Amino acid sequence: MPTIKQLFQPDSRLATTVRGFAPRASQTTMAEAVAKALKQRGQLVVEAETGTGKTYAYLVPTLLSDGKAIISTGTKNLQEQLFHRDLPALKAVLAPNKSVALLKGRGNYLCLHRLNQALIASGQHNKTLQSQLVAVRSWSQRTDDGDVGTINILQEDAEVLPQVTSTAENCLGRDCPDFDDCYVVKARKKALEADLVVVNHHLFFADMALKDVGFGELIPAADAVIFDEAHQLPDIASQYFGEAVSSRQVQELAHEMKLLYLATLKDLKQLDKAADKLLTSLRDFRLVFANDPSRGNWRTFRQQAAVQAAALVVEEHLSFFHEVLKSALGRHNDLDNGYERCGQFLHKWQQLQDTSRTGYSFWFETTPRQFTLHQTPLSVADKFGGYLRASNMAWIFTSATLAVNEDFHHFTDQLGLHQPTTLCLPSPFDFQQQALLCLPRYLPQPHERGMAEAILQIVTQVLDANQQGGTFVLFTSHRMLQMIAQQLALVTERPLLVQGSTSKRDLLEQFITQGNGVLLGTSSFWEGVDVRGDALRCVIIDKLPFASPDDPLLQARVEDCQLRGIDAFAQVQLPQAVIALKQGAGRLIRDASDRGVLIVCDQRLVSKPYGGIFLQSLPNMRRSRDLNDAIEFLQQCDTP
Amino acid sequence: MAHGIFYVLDNINAEQHLQLLCQVITAGWREQRSVRVWCADQAQAEQLDQALWQQPVDAFVPHNLVGEGPANGAPVELCWPGAKVTSRRTAMVVNCTDAPSNSQGWNLYVDFVPSAEQARQAARERYKQLRQHGVDLQTIQAADYLAAHS
Repeated sequence: MPTIKQLFQPDSRLATTVRGFAPRASQTTMAEAVAKALKQRGQLVVEAETGTGKTYAYLVPTLLSDGKAIISTGTKNLQEQLFHRDLPALKAVLAPNKSVALLKGRGNYLCLHRLNQALIASGQHNKTLQSQLVAVRSWSQRTDDGDVGTINILQEDAEVLPQVTSTAENCLGRDCPDFDDCYVVKARKKALEADLVVVNHHLFFADMALKDVGFGELIPAADAVIFDEAHQLPDIASQYFGEAVSSRQVQELAHEMKLLYLATLKDLKQLDKAADKLLTSLRDFRLVFANDPSRGNWRTFRQQAAVQAAALVVEEHLSFFHEVLKSALGRHNDLDNGYERCGQFLHKWQQLQDTSRTGYSFWFETTPRQFTLHQTPLSVADKFGGYLRASNMAWIFTSATLAVNEDFHHFTDQLGLHQPTTLCLPSPFDFQQQALLCLPRYLPQPHERGMAEAILQIVTQVLDANQQGGTFVLFTSHRMLQMIAQQLALVTERPLLVQGSTSKRDLLEQFITQGNGVLLGTSSFWEGVDVRGDALRCVIIDKLPFASPDDPLLQARVEDCQLRGIDAFAQVQLPQAVIALKQGAGRLIRDASDRGVLIVCDQRLVSKPYGGIFLQSLPNMRRSRDLNDAIEFLQQCDTP
Repeated sequence: MAHGIFYVLDNINAEQHLQLLCQVITAGWREQRSVRVWCADQAQAEQLDQALWQQPVDAFVPHNLVGEGPANGAPVELCWPGAKVTSRRTAMVVNCTDAPSNSQGWNLYVDFVPSAEQARQAARERYKQLRQHGVDLQTIQAADYLAAHS
């Protein structure tokens, strides 16, 4: 068997047979570190900046090592990219006998039982839904794996999908008449038997936190877990180690039971009535919050007598509904399942009313019609770190953005990692030549009125200069986004792609196709965007990406710091913003021939002492305070 | 006791002068925490702003030009005659103009002695004035300083 070093030679078997495999020094360093961690079952944290080729650096040693491995990526798209694009060629050369599997979340697989139920009740549905149902049915006779993502004619957010897929709540598990043919069960079985499984972080934590039936089997069976895009883990972990109950979930249950009454259990009038009362109490409860969608501290909000009264009404109706379901137990599998779920909702609801417990942040979130109550643990370090220590497995974490000024503590402390090996691999790109960071002079303070006008000026000038390349304009607030989008439309003739007008995926596709597109979005566009070459040549951001202070998860962490007597700004807010800006800067230069300009319209980057921490963590781009330098840079990009 | 340093700019080119300014300001921010720099004019202030911004990241100096930045100024504020300057007191003043500085309350005052005769004479006047006010004064050859700090 060839060693890692041999494989990562320019003339190796891999380099000559695998397309796109170009070994570089830092990649070899990382691959060797991964191989060592796999062998010693250690913990390894690697920051590998864009261009180091980290995917191959962990795939190669993983394929070479014995035992079962789980690779977890940030999103479903990345999962597919890894499984269909990067993995096959490597596997063919290195480990043709290994079995590999792709496992997605439950919501991606057709549920035969729910499809049948939906078809029976199809008279209740609207025209669109009916025609979508027909499409799903005919596809269902051809599919091998039941992955609804392969139904080409359906949009990602098609109305029919929730009707024909299951959730952890409404799944009947072993009691389901279609259990033997269940696609979720089959996919899990395949994953359990495979040598290498590709999952995503959400699925991973659902498994770890035992958030679904049949979960909790996958991780213990593995010898190694590798997280790519690992910077997302602390947030996702908090989500899964917390609890939440939403009006939508309870409503779904009520509606399902009403349908069951209409379709089969026609004598259970009381079930229908109890469901209606529950639905009314949920609507009333939504009204105790402000009309506009908002988020806030549930512990504080719940102090109001009116809120407590409305919560009590919901509890009474949940409790009554539970009793009604109990009295009909055994009449139908779906009803028995509904009884279970109702019991869980009732338990969670009661739990969420007891906000005097410490160690959690309690918060609410509302949309125009719905609400969700959450409890989020202040820290996942104990749970996650404890799990790791007890596991006797190798744990590898990698991302382009983990460290703040080469220090990993922000990341490792949040996850409770115990003295992991850390590695910082710089990008092979020449940022001094390829990129310019511009902080224009004489801008107002971020909160001042003149800011919109100033940003508008900058954007118009940039668009004039950047005719051939793409431009991202990213905002930290929707308000500013809308304001600039409206005003910009009046002064430019170039078509604008504005977030909110269509799905994020559509926007990005249009942006890439146009080649010199102008995209206005919120800072969430930072994450996971991969636009190579001229299609993205300039990124303008309105503000340093500090999380909004009313973000409940942030509040929870700040609270936690205060309890422990730690400077929350330096330990929580600053590192988070540094990593977010680093993510954004990383979007600009994706390969050795990319060129680009990053314009930050936030004074604080130069005037506050912490500006230095941002600069230390960013790629070493050329810097200027003169907007004309940025304009010139962009114009030069146009002349080859 | 207040302390003053005059850097003698003999045998120094424009680029070295800018480098000297950056080094003096960086050291000043680290030790004194608040610095006001009086530049000869806005153009010089912007040139200095650019040079400070382009320093290696481990020599980051939080600064602003008058007219931008926090209401009370960044730790290092770059001003020029005629600009709307706040009355904030800083622990250190750097004077790149020909005129005596009227800033007060500083611990450390930095000034420069140009080679050109007229400007040199003006610097001598400022030196004398400060000595009369009992400031503890020192002169340093800029060329020596740069040689020692490069």
